[in-house]
Amino acid sequence: MSLLHIILPAKMDNLENFIQSLSMWLQQHGMATEKIHRVELAVEEALVNIIRYAYEGQTGDVELRGGITDDQRFVIEILDSGAPFDVCTLPKPDIHCSIRDRKIGGLGVFLIQRMVDELLYRREGDKNVLTMFINRNNGRLASSRQDIHADA
Amino acid sequence: MEIDAKKEGQTVIIVLTGRMDAVSAPQFDKTVDDFIEQGETRILIDFKTLEYISSAGLQSILALAKRLEITSGTVLLSDLNGAVKEVFEISGFSSIFPIFDNLDAAKASI
Repeated sequence: MSLLHIILPAKMDNLENFIQSLSMWLQQHGMATEKIHRVELAVEEALVNIIRYAYEGQTGDVELRGGITDDQRFVIEILDSGAPFDVCTLPKPDIHCSIRDRKIGGLGVFLIQRMVDELLYRREGDKNVLTMFINRNNGRLASSRQDIHADA
Repeated sequence: MEIDAKKEGQTVIIVLTGRMDAVSAPQFDKTVDDFIEQGETRILIDFKTLEYISSAGLQSILALAKRLEITSGTVLLSDLNGAVKEVFEISGFSSIFPIFDNLDAAKASI
C-alpha cells in the first residue's frame, strides 16, 4: 500500500499542492468523490491554521502523511513544529446567532471535527501531530459499533 | 475560482465557479469591496457552479453580509449544491442567509 508523504514550508502558496496531492492519493485508493471533498476540507482547515498561526511570523515546515490502517480506515496526519496547540480543546462556535452577532472565525476547527470520523491530537517531541481517521464507508462503522455493544 | 460579476438593475450578480478556499477567497473579497465602494447595496451570489467551500469562503461571505448590514443592504444566495450546501448547513449559515433554489427564484424575490 503506497503512502502519502509531503513536507513543504508552511506557506499559503503550498496549500494547493498539498490538497491536490491528497486528493489524487485518496482517489487512487478508492475513496468516493463526495468523501474526498470532506477530507480536503478537514485538511485545508488544519493546514491554514498552521500556515497562519503556528510559526508566528517565522518560517517552518508542515508535513502531511496519509496511510490506511489494517482495518481499512484512512488515516491522515498533519505535523508542525510550532507552539503546542491542541485543536481538540477549542470551544464550539455559536452557530445559531444572527449575521450581526456571528463571529468571523472559529469555524475551521469545528468543520474539521464534523468532516472526519475521529480526530486526535498529540505532542510528539517538539511537534504537534493532528491525526484524522476516516472510515471507508459509514455502513461498516455502524456494524462494527453494533458488534461492540453485542460483546458488552 | 472564477468570479463572474455583472450588474442587473440595482443588483450585483456574482457567479462563482470552482473552489472557494483560503487562497481564492481574497479574490472574492476584492471583487465585493470594489462594488461596495461604488455604493452597491444588493449582492446576489450564485453557487451553482461552485464545487467546494472552506471556512475562509464562509468568512468572506459573512464579512460581506456584515458590511452590507451597515448600509441596510442585502446579500442573497442561490443554488447551493453538494459539498457547498453541506458546509452551509453544518456551519449554521443556511439559517442566517436568504437562500434560493436557483438564480431565477432569487431574482424574482427582489
